[in-house]
Amino acid sequence: MKLLRRTAAAFLIAVFIAALFAGVLVPVPYAKQFRDSPNAMPSRIHLLGTDELGRDLFSRLLYGSRISLLLAPAASLLATIIAALVGGVAGYAGGWLERIALGGTDLAMSLPWLFLLLAARAVLPLNLSPAASLLITFALLGFFGWAASARVICAGARGLRDSDFVLQAKACGCSSRRVLLQQVLPNLRPALFAQFLISIPVFILTEANLGILGLGVSEPLPSWGGLLRGLENWSAVQANPARLAPLLLLLVVVSCFQLVLRQEDFAP
Amino acid sequence: MRNHRLALLAASFLLAALPATAQSGAELRFVLRSEPKTFDPMLVDDEASETIRYLTGGVLIRVNRKTQALEPELGVSWKVSEGGKKISFRVREGLSFSDGTPFTAEDVAFTMQKLMDPELHSPTGDSFRSSQGQVRVTAPDPRNVVIEFPSAVAGLERLFDQVAIVSSHSPKKEAAVLGPFAIAEYKPGSYVLLRRNSYYWKKDAQGRKLPYLDSIRLDVQQNRDLELLRFKRGEIQLINSLDASYFESLAKEAPAAVRDIGPSLDSEQIWFNQVPSSPIPNYKKKWFRSTSFRLAISEAINRGDLCRVVFSGHARPAVGPVSPANLFWFNKSLEPNPYDPQSALRRLQQDGFRFDGHVLNDPDGHSVEFSVVTNAGNKYREQMAAMIQQDLEQIGVRLNIVTLDFPSLIERISRTFDYELCLLGLVNVDLDPSAQMSVWLSSSSNHQWNPEQKTPATSWEAEIDRLMQAQASTNDQKQRKSYFDQVQKIVWDQQPFIYLVNKNALVAISPALANTSPVVLRPQTFWNIESLYLSNQGRGGDQ
Amino acid sequence: MTRTTSLLSLCLSADYPDRPNVLRTLALEMYSGEILGLIGQSGSGKSTLALAILRLLHLHKGNQRGEIWFQGRNLMGVSEREMRSVRGRELGLVLQSPLSALNPALRIGTQLEEAWRAHVKGSDDAARKAILETLLSVSLPAERSFLRRYSSQLSVGQAQRVIIAMAILHRPSLLIADEPTSALDTITQSEILRLFAQLSRELRMGILYISHDLLSVAALCHRIAILHAGQILECAPPAQIFGAPQHVYTQKLVAALPRGALLDSDGDKVSSVVASHEVEESVKPSVESSIPDQIPSIVR
Ligand SMILES: Nc1ncnc2c1ncn2[C@@H]1O[C@H](COP(=O)(O)OP(=O)(O)O)[C@@H](O)[C@H]1O
Ligand SMILES: [Mg+2]
Repeated sequence: MKLLRRTAAAFLIAVFIAALFAGVLVPVPYAKQFRDSPNAMPSRIHLLGTDELGRDLFSRLLYGSRISLLLAPAASLLATIIAALVGGVAGYAGGWLERIALGGTDLAMSLPWLFLLLAARAVLPLNLSPAASLLITFALLGFFGWAASARVICAGARGLRDSDFVLQAKACGCSSRRVLLQQVLPNLRPALFAQFLISIPVFILTEANLGILGLGVSEPLPSWGGLLRGLENWSAVQANPARLAPLLLLLVVVSCFQLVLRQEDFAP
Repeated sequence: MRNHRLALLAASFLLAALPATAQSGAELRFVLRSEPKTFDPMLVDDEASETIRYLTGGVLIRVNRKTQALEPELGVSWKVSEGGKKISFRVREGLSFSDGTPFTAEDVAFTMQKLMDPELHSPTGDSFRSSQGQVRVTAPDPRNVVIEFPSAVAGLERLFDQVAIVSSHSPKKEAAVLGPFAIAEYKPGSYVLLRRNSYYWKKDAQGRKLPYLDSIRLDVQQNRDLELLRFKRGEIQLINSLDASYFESLAKEAPAAVRDIGPSLDSEQIWFNQVPSSPIPNYKKKWFRSTSFRLAISEAINRGDLCRVVFSGHARPAVGPVSPANLFWFNKSLEPNPYDPQSALRRLQQDGFRFDGHVLNDPDGHSVEFSVVTNAGNKYREQMAAMIQQDLEQIGVRLNIVTLDFPSLIERISRTFDYELCLLGLVNVDLDPSAQMSVWLSSSSNHQWNPEQKTPATSWEAEIDRLMQAQASTNDQKQRKSYFDQVQKIVWDQQPFIYLVNKNALVAISPALANTSPVVLRPQTFWNIESLYLSNQGRGGDQ
Repeated sequence: MTRTTSLLSLCLSADYPDRPNVLRTLALEMYSGEILGLIGQSGSGKSTLALAILRLLHLHKGNQRGEIWFQGRNLMGVSEREMRSVRGRELGLVLQSPLSALNPALRIGTQLEEAWRAHVKGSDDAARKAILETLLSVSLPAERSFLRRYSSQLSVGQAQRVIIAMAILHRPSLLIADEPTSALDTITQSEILRLFAQLSRELRMGILYISHDLLSVAALCHRIAILHAGQILECAPPAQIFGAPQHVYTQKLVAALPRGALLDSDGDKVSSVVASHEVEESVKPSVESSIPDQIPSIVR
């Protein structure tokens, strides 16, 4: 078990380093279109082959990892923080605050967020650099992606609200704010951590879907989401199974995350 | 390869021969990609309904989808007079509707009257409406009918290709048809079953009654992947239009089933926003209104690569608003803009732009950067945009790609005008230039690069207005052609639309289906439905 | 100083939304340094009273009316802000179940620090010092390593001592202990009882010792109040409660006690407690002398 954890950690570190030094490692620029060899098979020059436009898949995977590995956890962190605050306050305070907050998450979860994202894109200036569009995309994901987590956190906080240790802390004269921050939230850490972990792959995939709505990372920047969209072309995948690499990497990285950062470490 | 040719030879042999091997009780199957919205031929506005109308309706004049020439059907002969205001038909005798009701000129008169009734809001009727006023229809005797329009209708005769004649007194109303098939069953959301019309009048060279097929089953199936799968399984025999990637995947498994018929009428194009009141910086407006800027951009785009890479070779560099597939109207003196970044740079430098090997700056020092909007989810457009992005980078132009959902895109290009460059396609159904009238008239709302102008903004737009009006007001085809050739030339010179590619028409046809002759015009595969038949041999593949 | 001064004097009514009249104008008075035993069957409203004194009944959705005179002011009349400064600083509370009263996600040290910082803004060192001192006074190891533990790493007795340490961190003048020993095994129980006696002696704080077990408090308390159906039936020194109970309910309560225990506590040790309950100064020797041998005999 320990060995497995170590291996996972080593793998994650390797992926992070590879992503960080993508510029040095990649044989060719990620955006360069080798138009004479689109959909190429893996070779010496193109380790994983090329995509429909002849861009080197290995380079794109490395650069895409850099973007997704950095930004999806950041967005997830943002979403989890918002969820912790909203869910924590609502569940802890109870009463009308809780009702309003739960109504808010219902609203946030039921309909408008896709439209909000679309509306958000519609009001953004057209001439955004790809990097700016990238940051905005993940910030929006974080902003809109907290609702589901908030519900879980709220339920957790509600359970803690009536606990003896909250009563004891209050009897010691601790203020509500401090009880929430110092007593309740630490108990929600395992739940928060789980939400954080769950959100990472969800955000990576949402980013991919956003691309379909025109909100994802814009060309020519690669992202895991964008690369996963490449799997839609199933015949190309059949021809070159190396195209599954982004999916595999996503699965492995997410499970490595789960192995390395185990929930038990966050609960006493 | 040789085998392939042999198979083709065998196919052409079969074509001439009697359908001796035809299955009796044969049923052709293919899919409708959406639910038909109506079975009333006058109200057709969607592709699925149009398919049903084509298979069941009898028309006075048919546009032969292969030769693109007009052919007499229910109208044995006709005559256009008074400069395109009046048309008189002599109709075929001794025919009956699918329920046995006899067909006369009175039915034609009834159909036209009903079609032109403003209350009906018939999309088909609208194409005849060139101006306000009453349409007069008279049937002096059972064989003749005369139709008079309040003003000249350009390309009048070919509009009758869309007019399925309905019976004036059959109790079955529009369900009584004159086409080769009639609707037998309909299960909403599931399928439409057509059965052969035993009263159909056409016979083959040997005197056999047409159509050969007994029935056609049209399954409603939106999902293209499932459509392809069902074709591979042999459950359906036709796919009317294939995507390049589906074509390639099918070609690997069943090379005999796929056909690339060459460039279609549809085009993909980009255009710059030239609306004076648009909310974009003035210096950019100046670029976009400069003809040489547009020409330079056009020359910097490698159309050959777009066809080769994005469409796997199933597209041709486009020339202009008319595809070479439009045999009569295409201006054959024009060529696609060649790929020539050096010439593009020279043009720009002549206009005072400066290129430092990296970035292109305009005479006032602004770096040339703009965005292209296109609809999200269209893989081909997104790929084209990415390729154009790289092409333009070579002349120092930075292109940002923005994909939008369709409603936001339409909002931007037709209401707020908050866009710079737009990439979209144009679907051409009609061969005749009058169908494009609304695109070219500067006063029209479909004049995309600068719609609804009070007076033409440029002299060349004024000239296009004049030529389009001129071609519409005469019925002399030669004269019209010369006017429209000039329009094509002006568009080619000015590049208000920068045409990129004409996608090829790609179809899949089961080898079991004989006598097929797919064409680029809709309906590509089954335009000659009455002479198609299913053979046992083709399916067995022992040939 | 031999005069008895009133520490707490209250008259309270309390309801829960679905259960009215849990406390019915309950009147109670306590003196400085006094250990008052509050005895009642489970469900009689003991915990309700404990929370009501701290004005925390709303946490259990309860509603309280009346007066709570504590150190010269009516707590029912002060703002929540003021009330907060009273809780933990002048009024301490120890809950019944030590393990659930400790936060499982926090280290012991952190929780004690939280309790400290609720009232004192100061350096970490000052906090550390106060905490370690208090740990010593409840006979817990005053070590950093102990502070780093989680509640799951403590025995129940240790946990209860931590809770007590938390409650007396600011040397409150009144400590309310709501059945502090009922979750403990008998040996630990007697140790904790001894601790209370010792604290009362050393820190001179009043203790409202709540229990459902009349015998266990007899040796510890100066006076015993009998709570039944939301009211105090009688409040008197143990000798009187055991010797001459006034109220029928008390009589029944005493009669139900095991014979041997009663005999034992009828001896001079009980009377020595009774004799010395009046005055703060005199509490010290008597409790000291009584508790160690007293408790085992009750346990037996
Ligand atoms: N939160 C609550 N809501 C409703 N009723 C309660 C609540 N807490 C206690 N009660 C009721 O009030 C009465 C007194 O309870 P409590 O003060 O806990 O008794 P004790 O501590 O003496 O066992 C009991 O009958 C109990 O059922
Ligand atoms: Mg209780």
